[in-house]
Amino acid sequence: MNRLSIAALAFSLVVSGAARADSVIILNSDEASYSIVSRSARTEVVRLPVGREPHHLILSPDGKEVLIGSTATNELLSLDIKTGERKRVVKDILDPYHLGFSPDGKWFVTAAYRLDHVDIYHADGFRLAGRIFIDGLPSHIAFDTESKTVFVTLQQSGRVAAFDLATQTLKWNMPVGNAPAGIVMLPDDKRLLVALTGEDRIVTVDPKDGAVTGSLQTGKGAHNFFPKGDGRHYFLSNRVEGLVTLIDTKDEPKVVASVRIPGGPDCMDITPDGRELWVTQRFLRRVAIVDIDTMKVVGSVPVGKSPHGVFMLKSTATVTAGAGIPVRAASTAGDRK
Amino acid sequence: MRDLIDLWVGAQAWLFETLVSPVLFHFGLMAWYEPGYGAVEFVMLGVIQIAVIAIGMRYFERRWPLEKAGRDDGLIMVDRVYTVLNKLGIIPLAIFILTYPLVQEIELSVRSWGYVPPRLERLLPWIGDNALLSFLVYFVLYDFAAYWLHRGQHAFGWWWALHSLHHSQRRMTVWTDDRNHVIDDLLITLALVLFSQFVGVQPGEYVVILMVGRLIESWSHANVDMSFGWLGERLLVGPRFHRLHHALSTPAERHIQDHNFAPVFPIWDILFGTAIYDEKIRPTGVDDAAVDADNGRGWIVQQATVFGRFLRALMPRFRRRASVP
Repeated sequence: MNRLSIAALAFSLVVSGAARADSVIILNSDEASYSIVSRSARTEVVRLPVGREPHHLILSPDGKEVLIGSTATNELLSLDIKTGERKRVVKDILDPYHLGFSPDGKWFVTAAYRLDHVDIYHADGFRLAGRIFIDGLPSHIAFDTESKTVFVTLQQSGRVAAFDLATQTLKWNMPVGNAPAGIVMLPDDKRLLVALTGEDRIVTVDPKDGAVTGSLQTGKGAHNFFPKGDGRHYFLSNRVEGLVTLIDTKDEPKVVASVRIPGGPDCMDITPDGRELWVTQRFLRRVAIVDIDTMKVVGSVPVGKSPHGVFMLKSTATVTAGAGIPVRAASTAGDRK
Repeated sequence: MRDLIDLWVGAQAWLFETLVSPVLFHFGLMAWYEPGYGAVEFVMLGVIQIAVIAIGMRYFERRWPLEKAGRDDGLIMVDRVYTVLNKLGIIPLAIFILTYPLVQEIELSVRSWGYVPPRLERLLPWIGDNALLSFLVYFVLYDFAAYWLHRGQHAFGWWWALHSLHHSQRRMTVWTDDRNHVIDDLLITLALVLFSQFVGVQPGEYVVILMVGRLIESWSHANVDMSFGWLGERLLVGPRFHRLHHALSTPAERHIQDHNFAPVFPIWDILFGTAIYDEKIRPTGVDDAAVDADNGRGWIVQQATVFGRFLRALMPRFRRRASVP
């Protein structure tokens, strides 16, 4: 399929299928690009360049932008949440590997995985409030619901650290297990779940002092969480095992379902209708689509190299090459499976 | 095309998840998880390269040999060992482990200062519109760096002590390209990785550049009597062009090896005045009995002997002591 055909497909999606064909953004971390995928057509519509090593992306507090962190080029690319069009580039955000806004929208925090520091910014204008150097590969972050504390997993040292957002000081730094990565605060604000990528389990951690209070076996290489949206269930990717498990966090966490996803499953997102879970398969250059009701794989979409972050836009991306941005069409007729 | 990609990454993922990932997980080496996956691809590419050399390039050597089979044929065997060790990633893996901390330290320091490697696509957006053109531009840049490193190998005595191992082969064939001392490989790799990061070559591009470049270099060492034609010989380094660089020096051509340095694109030799184009067929090797003695030695003895040569070139005092009978 040549570029003209891709453009025609993109155009037809824009003008005719906006109501049904929501778009998905996939970050191709090894080739400095992001793919825009048609959710309904389950095919890559276009592949666009972005700063090197994009890994994660996050919704802005006002819900109008999605920000892509390019770790090797120290910048954030902002896309319009509705159209997918590029809005601006925020420079001088060092190594924004994992990133997040506090629930009150006042703080923006990045985990600089390779540069070994945690940066706390005033979200308004991305003004740096404090840079905390900490050994051990800062990996993933989570906030308490009151927006007072940010929790950061330290993948190499096997610890979780808690920082006070207002003062940018360390509250505690505790060992939790081998290679902690994904971390999530449960809605009760009393339990943190931490995925241990160097093991086959997750642990429950007390956010007050970092004490490990529980453990649940899930699968080898437990890595990252995504909330199902009911305040109770969480999906967990297990990279080494090639498994996504569904965890019920009511009372003691327990595994209630699982689905095999080969190729190092990593980040996830759920379609706006809540019916499908999309999971990036880092090694296979694909995104798997899981029917949540049956927990079965129902589709797979080829994308770029080492797909990592995934995000559902709220409507069809216009995929225009505005602002002089070159379009690198990547899809082919044979892509559709 | 997508079917081919699926086949490739499917095999890579299967090998990784079956053989490598369980080992990394068992020994708590998850920090090497992503690099480990890349290493599997490197080995797979190495197998393909060996197949291309052993089946494709060797066909031409057998069909149109420049030097006929003779008593020096046994000298080729050690070069095959070099090729297998290199292409299957055994030496590159050792080099990667040795240089990784240094490369990381340099890269992270530079990044923490706020330096962001440029991408040509930002300066010239039309390049980003064409993946092949983008690849070629970075390939040319990479080859430019490799040309000057090669000149360095001939210009500095201590470096020549290492590089002379590569030139000592009297029976140059498609297997000769990988015949290098591990320290020489290490220095070149370190320099090229840093250069590539400095100019913004993507990791994926680097692997492809490395593979295509090394295949062309293997071919340029081939024992074949073939030419790409007047224009082709000026666009791409071929066996005739590179054989001159390996020519045995004579009193009449004392500095013959100080020509035709380019690894892939002869344009560098043409631009910097080091290109020679002629039809004369010369024997290869080095006019130095101590270096020529590398021939007939096995891999380990060659590595040890050349290391001694390197030390003597590096430390004059050591050289004097060594020269006492």
